[in-house]
Amino acid sequence: MSRRHVWELLSALVLTAVVCVGFWTIFSGLNLTRSHEALWRYRESLYKGWIGSLVVSVGGLIGSCLVAAILVAGQRAPLKSIRWFTQGLVEIVRGMPLLSLILIGYYVVLNDPTVTRVLNSVGLGGRLFGGIMLLSVFTGAYLTEILRGGIESIPQAQLDSARAVGFSRWQVLRYVVFPQALRRVLPALAGQFVSLVKDSSLLSVISISEFTYEIRAFYAATYLGVEAFLPLAFGYLVLTLPIAGFSHWLERRFQAATAS
Amino acid sequence: MKLHADSLIRTYGPLNALDSLTLAVEAGVLVLIGPSGGGKSTFLRLCGGLDQATSGSLRINDTTLGQDPATLQAWRRRNGFLFQQFNLFPHLTALRNITLPLEKVHGQNPAAALETARRCLDRFGLLAHADKLPAQLSGGQQQRAGLARAIAPGPEILLLDEPTSALDPEMTAEVLELIQELAAAGQHIILSTHEMGFARAVADQVALIAAGKILESGPPAAVFGAPREELTQRFLAKVMRFA
Repeated sequence: MSRRHVWELLSALVLTAVVCVGFWTIFSGLNLTRSHEALWRYRESLYKGWIGSLVVSVGGLIGSCLVAAILVAGQRAPLKSIRWFTQGLVEIVRGMPLLSLILIGYYVVLNDPTVTRVLNSVGLGGRLFGGIMLLSVFTGAYLTEILRGGIESIPQAQLDSARAVGFSRWQVLRYVVFPQALRRVLPALAGQFVSLVKDSSLLSVISISEFTYEIRAFYAATYLGVEAFLPLAFGYLVLTLPIAGFSHWLERRFQAATAS
Repeated sequence: MKLHADSLIRTYGPLNALDSLTLAVEAGVLVLIGPSGGGKSTFLRLCGGLDQATSGSLRINDTTLGQDPATLQAWRRRNGFLFQQFNLFPHLTALRNITLPLEKVHGQNPAAALETARRCLDRFGLLAHADKLPAQLSGGQQQRAGLARAIAPGPEILLLDEPTSALDPEMTAEVLELIQELAAAGQHIILSTHEMGFARAVADQVALIAAGKILESGPPAAVFGAPREELTQRFLAKVMRFA
């Protein structure tokens, strides 16, 4: 083992020790035994809530991609009025707190009898779908601007070359612009998806049975203190860390192709 | 190849990149020379169907290059175009850069496209680099790969916009040699260049473009040997000083 390796190993051990001692000192004041027992008793509802968050997150991920695809197309529409309308929508949604979007969206827009009837008729009625839709619109607006930045970062020379080999407008986007743009904005997209998972906790305000909602109920029923929120943090990390890991893997995988 | 341009005007805002350019030539290899900013690239882009004239008319062989997007796209598919640099798609290997358009634009099946692409790369001495990304190739290799991509579908006309201007002298020689080979094999070419010796050697017809107009045109022996216009004489005296 080289000198360098020894130092690396040593510093890793010291850092781990410092972090452990630090955590121990800080968290030893909490009564974790009591909270473990309570956790075990409420495991079913908490698990149900965590699954709820998973469903809402996956739904929001798919939904936000659909919303972003529509909005990106709207930003590039041939008609000026559609471009302006799309950009206005994006700015309003991005400028609004998610909480007000959820409350207004759910209790006003989705509560409208006509809207409810239409959504029910296509099988997208109900609280859960409503929540997923609102989350999708919110995240979709952010994704739209990230994607626009990526698309506009592709130099004109690439568009010229793509047209010169005979690609149609759609093929230029499909084979030349999107692959390069997506690779450039990958870290930003992953960050937005992580935010989406955490933002889904706000859906508890419209009583969707997701993780935060169940943890609150758990907190209220057990009179536990802040101990109740440790599993909350842990539950979300289980959802968000794989997204970050997957994104880093993709970045490494396509590193060479984005180098130039 | 017959080219007929009549009073071509192309404006960019207040700038007249082409200012009533008129030219009628018949040539295998047409070379455009002239000062930078004179309109060579704009004229080539119009000839390649990459841009539309503000007014005037342009016909090459039997095709009128007007405003109709479908005609222009069909024209781009029939011909090859090479820019000064950044021709290759950086996220694709040299090989894939060639096979992708063959498959998606020219409808070849993957096996046939692969076969064509490998033959073109081999012809230009790039077969060993087939699986490299553009960033892993030298500037000269990139241009040769770009050239390979342009000729792979068997273009009617090859349009080259200053293909060696971004290269050092050694790489320039590599690329010019290939272009000369293609010309000798009967490939119809329209190219713009600052390499006067090369222009003289390879051209059937030379046209000097300055300030958006044709200053002088004719066979290379006439334009280089006995230029009629005073401006041509001055331009050639300047660029040939160290040649």
